[in-house]
Parts: sequence; C-alpha cells; structure tokens
Amino acid sequence: MQWMSLFEKELLENWRNFKWIWVPLVLVLLSIMDPISTYFMPQIIESVGGLPEGAVFEMPTPTANEAIMMSIAQLSSLGVLVIVLMSMGVIANERKSGVLELLLVKPVRHVNYITAKWTALLLLVWIGLFVGMLGSWYYVNLLFGELSFVAMLQVVFFYGLWLTLVVTLSIFFNTLFKSPGLVAFMTITTIMAMSLITKIFGTYLTWSPNNLASHIHELLLIHEVTRDLAITSLITVVISLVLLIASVYTFKTKEMAN
Amino acid sequence: MDVLQEINWGIIAPFIVIQGILMIVALIDWFRTKETNGSRWLWLFVIIFLNTIGPIFYFVIGRRQR
Repeated sequence: MQWMSLFEKELLENWRNFKWIWVPLVLVLLSIMDPISTYFMPQIIESVGGLPEGAVFEMPTPTANEAIMMSIAQLSSLGVLVIVLMSMGVIANERKSGVLELLLVKPVRHVNYITAKWTALLLLVWIGLFVGMLGSWYYVNLLFGELSFVAMLQVVFFYGLWLTLVVTLSIFFNTLFKSPGLVAFMTITTIMAMSLITKIFGTYLTWSPNNLASHIHELLLIHEVTRDLAITSLITVVISLVLLIASVYTFKTKEMAN
Repeated sequence: MDVLQEINWGIIAPFIVIQGILMIVALIDWFRTKETNGSRWLWLFVIIFLNTIGPIFYFVIGRRQR
C-alpha cells in the first residue's frame, strides 16, 4: 500500500501545480487547431487577399480520416514537446530540491517510487490525449464528415502507446540526470534520432514505434487492425517496459552512489 | 466588420474559452506564488499579452518548482 500513497501524493501534486488543468487543455488546443484552420483556409486566404486577379485556388477538402490524422501529426510534434517539457522535472527537481532525500530516508522502495510517478504521468497524458481527440473527433464530424466513435477510441488507444514510450523515455532520463533541461534535451534528441533512423532504414524498420502513426492511418482506411500495427504496438510496449525496468535500476544505483 | 459576422462563432468559441481558462489559471497561480524563474512582473505581461503560448510558457518554465 506504499505504492498507493506515493501515487496519491503524485496526483495531489499534479493538482497543486495545475497540470491536471493545463496539460489536457493544451492537448485539446493542439488537436483541434489543424482541422479548424484547414476548414477555414479558403476564407482566410480570401480575407487576407494578395492573390492576383482571376487566380483560382483549388484546395482539396480533406477526408475525415485525413483530418483526424492532422490532429495526430500536431500531437506528434508540439504535443510531444509539451509532454517532454512538462515531465522533465518530475524526478530531477525533487532530487535538486532535496525532497527526494527526505523521502528516501524512509523505507521507500525504489520500484514503488518510480512506478508511482510513471503511472501518475501516464494517467495525465492518456486523459489529455483522450480529451484532445474527443475535441478533434467532434470537429471532424462537424466539418469534414462521418468518423465513428469506435475509430476515435482506436486512434486514442494505439497513439497512446507512442506517448507512453515518450513518457517512459522522459522518466528514464530523469533517473540519469539531475538537470531538467538536460533531461528534456536528451529525450527530444533520442526521439529525433529514432525518427531519423526509421526514415533512413524505413524499408527494414516497418515496426519501428515511430511508424505507429502511419499504421494508425492504415487502420482508419481499412477498418481493421493490421498485422504491422499489432506488432508495432507490441514492440512499443516492450521497449517502454524495458526502459521502465532500466529506470528503476539506474535510479537504485545512482541514488546509492550519491 | 463584414469579416466578423461571417465567422461561425459556434466553431471558434471553444478556442477562446480554452485560451481564457488557461490565462485565468496561470494568473491564479501567478498571484499565489512569490517567486518565479525570472522577473515576476515580466511573466504577468507574458501571461496576459502572449495569446495561448504565454500561459503555457509560464507553466512550463516560469513556475519555480518549490
């Protein structure tokens, strides 16, 4: 039951620093931004003007699937950035301020400490993702056409796995470094390196976690979970778990070294 | 003022509401804290005048973690 009290402490802290309010709100903003601005693009161009007389500007209206993938694309760039910046200090700051020492004087198990933090962050991110996609789903149905609720839930589920990996990476670097800035830098560099490798060796790495979004697009198009998607998800989960175990391990050894 | 009437406010309204909530929450937090990273008054300007990004910036870098 030690885990529960650590977990509750995390939830309380996330209330106190308003993460429960601003993280979901920011994710909602990011998710609904692109579908709406795409919908209004003709009007925006018209009111801004500057087009030569008689110029015809044809813009294909995206399908509902494409529109919801726009939200995912936005979450993949700015959303990931927000999540990394939000989680960069979860352990590093406690270490800096000395709270960690106060806590570990008591017989707190390292596994409990790390997993409680991890679960609290994941809960926040998943709920934020769900609320954001709910907003996006609402607008897509309003502006672009039919998209079933189940399809939206599938998108949330599979895309959430990618965000889980991002959070776990951040936790892992939190156990390695003391400075929050370095944690954020390393997490983003790792994600960028992963996407670069996936791009270069694309033909061999169909199951790279970075390809999760494109497999989700396939899922939306053919309405069934492809083998690629299933395997990619599995690999993402496995990498996350390995990273989590590694975090507990480095946290233990690092903490003893101090 | 034509442009203003053409806009479908039902679609835009949630945007403005979310921005408003973000700003209010950031302001509440700003009032409660004694110290921020960097000038406290500068952050007030950032929260109020930089739309959307201001409050987010404040939460991510402006808040001092204890």
